[in-house]
Amino acid sequence: MKKILFAAAVLSVFTLALFTGCSKSESTKGMKVGMVTDAGTIDDKSFNQGTWEGILAAGKDFNLDTKYLKPTGTTEADYLKEIGNLYDAGYKFMVTPGFKFETTIFQAQTKYPDAKFVLIDGSPHAGDWNPVVNENTVSIFFAEHESGFLAGVASALQVKNGEFGFIGGMEIPAVQKFNWGFQQGVNYANESLGTAIIMNPANIVYQGSFDNVAAGQQLAAQMFDKGVTAIFCAAGGVGVGAINEAKARAKAGKDAWIIGVDVDQYAEGIWDGSSSVILTSAMKRIDTAAYDMIKAELDGKFPGGQILIFDAKNMGVGIPAENPNLSADVTDAVSGVFAKLQSGDIVVSAEQGDLIK
Amino acid sequence: MWTIIVQIFPYAIAFTVPLLITSLGGLFSERSGVVNIGLEGLMVMGSFIAAYTISVLYPVLGDSAVWAGLALAMIGGALFSLLHAFASINLNADQVISGTAINMIAGAITVYFARTITGSGNIHIVSGLGRWDVPLLHRIPVIGSLLFTQTYGTTWLVLAILLLSWYLIYKTPFGLRLRSCGEHPHAADAAGINVFAIRYIGVMVSGAFAGLGGAVILVTYSGEFNGSVAGLGFLALASLIFGQWKPLGILGATFFFGFASTLANVSQVIPELARIPGFILKAFPYVVTLGALILFSKSSQAPRAAGQPFSHDKR
Repeated sequence: MKKILFAAAVLSVFTLALFTGCSKSESTKGMKVGMVTDAGTIDDKSFNQGTWEGILAAGKDFNLDTKYLKPTGTTEADYLKEIGNLYDAGYKFMVTPGFKFETTIFQAQTKYPDAKFVLIDGSPHAGDWNPVVNENTVSIFFAEHESGFLAGVASALQVKNGEFGFIGGMEIPAVQKFNWGFQQGVNYANESLGTAIIMNPANIVYQGSFDNVAAGQQLAAQMFDKGVTAIFCAAGGVGVGAINEAKARAKAGKDAWIIGVDVDQYAEGIWDGSSSVILTSAMKRIDTAAYDMIKAELDGKFPGGQILIFDAKNMGVGIPAENPNLSADVTDAVSGVFAKLQSGDIVVSAEQGDLIK
Repeated sequence: MWTIIVQIFPYAIAFTVPLLITSLGGLFSERSGVVNIGLEGLMVMGSFIAAYTISVLYPVLGDSAVWAGLALAMIGGALFSLLHAFASINLNADQVISGTAINMIAGAITVYFARTITGSGNIHIVSGLGRWDVPLLHRIPVIGSLLFTQTYGTTWLVLAILLLSWYLIYKTPFGLRLRSCGEHPHAADAAGINVFAIRYIGVMVSGAFAGLGGAVILVTYSGEFNGSVAGLGFLALASLIFGQWKPLGILGATFFFGFASTLANVSQVIPELARIPGFILKAFPYVVTLGALILFSKSSQAPRAAGQPFSHDKR
């Protein structure tokens, strides 16, 4: 009997703890904006976080209800369930980050015709990669190759001589375009701006996942051991391991740099006071995209049915405004290159062509 | 071939160490008669405690915060394992279920705490452990470059614990009692040994070691707590079986896993290995383990009473 009572007490404590975690303050004004997270947490310093920050900023500026739900898994069924939950709770404007939502949104846009969907980094399709964007959906892509290009130019100018590497997550278009753009940026700097950076095909790899921290550390260690000075990581958690390895080396007094991705990763590379191993970051302004779409909806200008590209022209990609590890000359030169990208004087290819991998 | 081995050896050792210490913890628990499949959860707990401690203490203590984090992770792991000990020793619960519960609670509660305390589910530490070459020893030809270069302090700590454990288990009265509780608790009980106390010690040691294992991952190669240790706790459990519940056996088993996983991870940047499809290298350690488990299944050395609740009246 005592044991049963004890077990009951333990259970009730846990249940209480569970429920206290759920209560969130909710105001009741305006539109309700919901988000379903992709794999990873809301504070992944990448896609989920960027999207959510954009939603929060819009929620604050326009006094909206905001909510995110984290699915239990990463299958279509998991995503659809959470979209249904948001819809039932009145959140009829939904933002979903990541290409994994493509087939989910394809179904959801027909199932919930009076809801609006923003799909970041993907376009809805039935599994056959033929985009079908309904009037209630907008699909957003980023010009990752332009972002990678700028980061490549900036890093090459700063390092001048040496060898660069690349660690990607899964071999998917968004990551590949970062890689190809980066290589073009390095080549551009070599040809037009007088740098001498080598990129060895053996040091261009796709790890195959976004969460294998150990592999990221080990890959980075091998590259640094072979004489690479800076590695561009477009690899989520794999990049976390690589950053950690670079920090260990920087602490031992060696030259080891990482070029961050998606968001400004400078703070993550700090290993002593304010010194960071993050040279610069190839950013996608995901938060801007989410914010702009919410604003467009409120203004009655929701670009439904369209596939939008965020690139240098509309300030959708770029490197951070502040780059403590880049010299002033480099920053100026990169601004020049950025202007040329905007004017179309420089065109970065989104295709592999004769680039490595 | 030799250069490749030299190139990846230090990193393979770094990857092996957390596995080794966790597996050793599992050995103490199972040798006392309590199956502990909660190692994964205990590692997560250790990783969380270390990450939080280090992030709080770093501004005050600087680099010594890392060692404080490791110590607290051990204590925290031991305390958290009391849940498992209480359920499986006092309440005679099914130990597999209790261990599963530990795994499920740890993953959820640590992220919950991390988020309520720090505002983020990922805790990032500014600085982990540095690597160093062991003075003089790293000049020894052949083994110097394999064993004594680029080592972490925790590697030597864990190896010292391993040696101590071997001595404790095989050469002291306590070790004999521990083993007897796992083999035949009723006989041990009749000889006047407090089976409950020994099993509590066994489980708490496993908690402390697994906590240390999780913390070692954090301060050596990951640098960030993210609510998971990527299944290393289960790999440690497999190493325990592969190593036949013997300290030196699990040293071999964990090193095998560590080396094979490192090889698979870095194969892409080593042209000689990149020719082999990655999935073959990645699957290799698991295939070998399956094979080994089948081969050894007849002559398994598992503690006979592991997994069985002990009560005085069932003699």
